[in-house]
Amino acid sequence: MTIPALRLNRLSKSFTVDGAPVEVLSDIDLTVAPGEFITIVGASGCGKSTLLRLILGLDRDFEGTLEIDGQPVKGPGLDRSIVFQEHRLLPWLTAERNVAAALLRSGLSRADKDRTVREHLDLVGLGDFAQAYPAQLSGGMSQRVAIARALVNRPRFLLLDEPLGALDALTRLRLQDELKRIVAHEKATAILVTHDVDEAVYLGHRIVVLHPRPGRIAEVVEVPAAARADRSSPEFVTLRDHVLAQLGVQTPARGKVAA
Amino acid sequence: MSLTDTGANASVSVDKGAFRSGPAGLSLFGRRLWARLSAVLLGLSFPAALLALWWVGAARGWLPPQILPSPALVWQTFTELWADGSLAEHTAVSIRRVAVGFAAGAGLGLIFGALCGLFPGFRAYAYPPVQAIARVNVLAWMPLLALFVGIDEPLKYVVIAWSASIPVIIGTVRGIAETPERLNELGEVFGFRPQDRLRLIVLPSALPSIFTGLREGLANAWQTLVLAELFASFEGLGYLMTWGRQLFQLDLVLISMVVVSLLGLSLDTVLKWLERRAQPWNAGGRNG
Ligand SMILES: Nc1ncnc2c1ncn2[C@@H]1O[C@H](COP(=O)(O)OP(=O)(O)O)[C@@H](O)[C@H]1O
Ligand SMILES: [Mg+2]
Repeated sequence: MTIPALRLNRLSKSFTVDGAPVEVLSDIDLTVAPGEFITIVGASGCGKSTLLRLILGLDRDFEGTLEIDGQPVKGPGLDRSIVFQEHRLLPWLTAERNVAAALLRSGLSRADKDRTVREHLDLVGLGDFAQAYPAQLSGGMSQRVAIARALVNRPRFLLLDEPLGALDALTRLRLQDELKRIVAHEKATAILVTHDVDEAVYLGHRIVVLHPRPGRIAEVVEVPAAARADRSSPEFVTLRDHVLAQLGVQTPARGKVAA
Repeated sequence: MSLTDTGANASVSVDKGAFRSGPAGLSLFGRRLWARLSAVLLGLSFPAALLALWWVGAARGWLPPQILPSPALVWQTFTELWADGSLAEHTAVSIRRVAVGFAAGAGLGLIFGALCGLFPGFRAYAYPPVQAIARVNVLAWMPLLALFVGIDEPLKYVVIAWSASIPVIIGTVRGIAETPERLNELGEVFGFRPQDRLRLIVLPSALPSIFTGLREGLANAWQTLVLAELFASFEGLGYLMTWGRQLFQLDLVLISMVVVSLLGLSLDTVLKWLERRAQPWNAGGRNG
């Protein structure tokens, strides 16, 4: 058993709404190994974004344990990067400089920064848009810049909050493969929140299914290698139907289901 | 999608107004020109109507000439003032006062506003008095100020600077305070130092509000100039107005008013242009 990269133990989070506490996450237990790719699915409002913010260290007001390499998380760090649900680009910086902003404190030389920014813009297919401002990009393109920005400093932890939701189907499939390849290649640990159960099965080593109000883990499902490798394998279809059922979606015995 | 693709999209969205009102079949450039032109014409239509009314009113003798001089007389006075150089002199004096006063007021306002915006402790202690003082028109302070700085040029500089600084302070404080929390969080995620956050997040996000403050400050500066010159001056456009009024030379008053408003408008236009230049990421940016 390796030392877990990330350990959540009885993690709970409440917000105060109109003077009263509202529990948003309840007793989350999860242990993530280095290099693991975790996907999280759940209805909207069940606390997925809140969970990522806690792991990122943006919100330190919670109960329970949250540790990275055995150390409690005290705040954000360059070891973790995130693609927020909205792209959150700085409107006054070009695509290129938005990506470079993530490297400002990285200690790389100017030339290395320029080169790796270029590479990452190329990776998300936006090499020609380096000089464009966010206002000149479509929602999907902005989201791709945000993905490049999250990858560019080669973080150990990659937190992804519905990163591919705004993309057209073809780009989404291509970037799913890219994400999978990069996470494997960089030996990064990834946590990806998604609405798309197919995506959860295709990318995750394990799928965390959340139930809402308060957000809690309904099930953690291991993804068989065969399901992860091939979207049309019987293992893939079976697992997808299982996860959909967990989310309360009835699936016909055989055939296609819209995720 | 290609680069030219978005470029075209951006300019179309910028030009929506032109697209709706312009005649069909014009090129992009033609449509832009048409949009400019129709905006200018629309803006001029009301003054033109007033001018026509004045012309007709003066010709028919609706009001006695001591109260409303005819356009011809005003024009004649204007050419005289122009020819003997006195209009230029008074204008130069006024411009100098506004320039010095506004530069000082805007500069100090920016510094003070930035300090309040960036340091909550400083703000808690220094901002409330300024907000209180801002509620009283600076002219009400003039007698008191005159005790300290006399009634010569420094008094004018001080009141103009004062009135210009108030909106600049408020705009700067508000702009900095209203930096979106989600962008501040981004700075945390990237491990920005305070100076990085200032340069990459706080200042650019505060710019629109700061420029609004600067433009209001400039408008204040002109208003205060005229009032200060009405009370205590022997030169400048405001003085020209008082003098004209005392001599029942309404033509002088009208000419000074027109010069003051044209100057105010042109300087505001310069500020607007600067505002656009300072924020190339808006309205299509480089491609637009
Ligand atoms: N800052 C906040 N204050 C109060 N309630 C919040 C706050 N942020 C999120 N919530 C609530 O917490 C719940 C979970 O939100 P979120 O984590 O964004 O859900 P998800 O990402 O799964 O859609 C929602 O009901 C939301 O309204
Ligand atoms: Mg969310």
